[in-house]
Amino acid sequence: MNHLLTVRNLPKPSLEGLLESAKMYKSLIESGRPVPQTEIRTVGLLFFENSTRTRVSFEQAANYLGYRHVNFSGAGSSIKKGESLKDTVLTLRASRLEGVVIRHSASGMYNVVVKYFEGPVLNAGDGRHEHPTQALADALTILEKKGQIEGLKVAIVGDVANSRVARSNIWSLTKLGAEVRIVGPRILMPGHTDKLPVSVYYDVKQGIAGADVVMALRLQTERMDSGLVSLGEYRRLYQINRQTLKVAAPNAIVMHPGPMNRGVEIDDLTADGPQSVIRQQVSNGVFVRMAALSRAFDQEETPS
Amino acid sequence: MKTLFRSGRVLDPSNGMDIYGSVLVEDGHIAAIGQDVASDDSTLIYECSGLWICPGLVDMHSHLREPGQEHRESIRSGTQAAAAGGFTNLCCMPNTSPPLDSPVLIDYILDKAAAPDAGGVFVAPVGALTKGQLGEQVSDLSALKKAGIVAASDEGAPIQNSQLMKRAMETCLQLDIPIMAHCEDRSLSSVGSMNEGAVSALLGLVGVPRSAEDIMVARNCLLSLETGCKLHILRVSTWGAVELIRQAKFLGAPVTCEICPHHFVFTEDSIHEFDTNCKTTPPFRTQNDLDVLLGALSDGTIDCIASDHSPYAPYEVDVPFEEAPAGLSALESTVGATLTYVTHTGMLSPLETVRKLSTSPADIVGLEAGTLQPNGSPVAQITVIDPNVEWTFDVAQTFSKGKNNPFHSHQFRGKAVLTFCGSEIYRDPFFNEERFILP
Repeated sequence: MNHLLTVRNLPKPSLEGLLESAKMYKSLIESGRPVPQTEIRTVGLLFFENSTRTRVSFEQAANYLGYRHVNFSGAGSSIKKGESLKDTVLTLRASRLEGVVIRHSASGMYNVVVKYFEGPVLNAGDGRHEHPTQALADALTILEKKGQIEGLKVAIVGDVANSRVARSNIWSLTKLGAEVRIVGPRILMPGHTDKLPVSVYYDVKQGIAGADVVMALRLQTERMDSGLVSLGEYRRLYQINRQTLKVAAPNAIVMHPGPMNRGVEIDDLTADGPQSVIRQQVSNGVFVRMAALSRAFDQEETPS
Repeated sequence: MKTLFRSGRVLDPSNGMDIYGSVLVEDGHIAAIGQDVASDDSTLIYECSGLWICPGLVDMHSHLREPGQEHRESIRSGTQAAAAGGFTNLCCMPNTSPPLDSPVLIDYILDKAAAPDAGGVFVAPVGALTKGQLGEQVSDLSALKKAGIVAASDEGAPIQNSQLMKRAMETCLQLDIPIMAHCEDRSLSSVGSMNEGAVSALLGLVGVPRSAEDIMVARNCLLSLETGCKLHILRVSTWGAVELIRQAKFLGAPVTCEICPHHFVFTEDSIHEFDTNCKTTPPFRTQNDLDVLLGALSDGTIDCIASDHSPYAPYEVDVPFEEAPAGLSALESTVGATLTYVTHTGMLSPLETVRKLSTSPADIVGLEAGTLQPNGSPVAQITVIDPNVEWTFDVAQTFSKGKNNPFHSHQFRGKAVLTFCGSEIYRDPFFNEERFILP
């Protein structure tokens, strides 16, 4: 049994193992070969926050592996009757679910889940903290486009302070040897970065200069206090578009974890343009989630 | 009936006494103190060699949760925890349900605390500074004072409006009671759940900046200086708060302050990831703060040590970190933590340790306690501390209903082993049977 809770605490060999496994699943599926079916498992997909791509790709990953899945959402469940996370988790366990994929608005919520669920727990996004499978999808996409991650310059641009995608990508990419920069206005940057392996840029052109990968983050309007950021100002100073991309490396790729605010953090033409790998990120989401799900039920435990 | 605390280190900060000697209690009152105190055949003897004989400890900051929150603590369980922690006196905070804003609630607390099944300690209620602790209208403090409050506070819901705070201070000045102020600018602390710093950035938690505390400390000190109202600042946690208080005292403001053991032991780095037992208000800060706080405790800028006993039901803390309530159930870990981290490290002498835990808090709220002098207290209040006993703090062994405490499983050196308030109210298993001699 293997949880997947954070990338920060995930050892590099486990990270590489997950990516290798995702590549294997991708080649099987793209070449039309059958995915080896193991014991049928039943996993719960427990989403306390809205999701399209993470939920759908977990479902699809489960389908490919021959697993069954049960969907929960905060809105339609006993959570609305005031049930605690602990009791919800105990209910899932008592209903004989064998694994749980969970997204919740509280950073570190998986502590409670791991304590009571007994089976493997996959973090599908905890508050502002981490989103490990998104980072795996992004790493796989970069590997495919660039051949390797070691030595690449990666600029993560935007609302880093509120971004769980950034907090997972910072760890996965630095563990795999990239140099990571975070770029954005001061009010959207973590104020203290002593414990994060990044360099900080407040000027978008300096931050993107020479970057091999430019990752725009969604402006998390639902997480921000109103009035902190003017959209017009943000667009003018930090939007990823053809102009800003001119200072990046010539073959730079453009990424976005979605859902996009088109015309805000990224302009339309760039999002759909030749440098964009946004749709590959989504497709790779299925394969890395297959890797995470099958690893969850491995007899052999890998460090996590 | 005579009771003799024989041949211990007698520490009485109220007159600077630090001698080897004995204390005789007769009919519940301290009758004699010194090196040659006679006993007779009818005397019950506590043999105190190697132990400290101190005035009963005073905790000026506890939450007994009653009325209304008995799932967390009751006056009975809380006073029993106090007795087991070495306290003979405690101030209970007004953030109950409903808050302590009317005399009938004060009567209720005093009655419950005096009941035979309670812990046997004196309880001095702190009244709600504003009605309902809503920060809108000052409570009827003269009626509350008549009912028995020793101070007024809005505790965890501090007054944000400076004009109202000034009016409250003028009222309290007239009544000669101190305001106990938790200092937090809510517009800055917002939804933060730990110190704003490198660890909060790492864990994706919204931080509480030091300035949220410092700004309110500055405001309240300035208002105290301007009005002359006694101000006691609850649980300082930042170096900035300490420097502001130092300055306010220098300028002559009647300001005192306390520190809680968890704020001189833990930093943001000691938080085991997302452990809700480590969530406090204010949050654990940094080593830099801790160094300044310890220095200020040593040089007297920080007047006393308080527990900020904040028990919660287990289910309330078994939730994600951001959703958890803040605080720890601390009455029974306060002495152990203080001796281990402050006394044995040389920051405070034994006499100063007892001053911070007994004489100073008694003076600040005007309690007849904190002294071993005959007639200093309505009944004899004595705490015997074994300064060297090594023990493991285990929440399962505590009297408090609250089991939330980050000191759980910590090794402590030093423990209150006997608590006496008119009569024996707690005797610890560490107080060896052989030390207890019946007439």
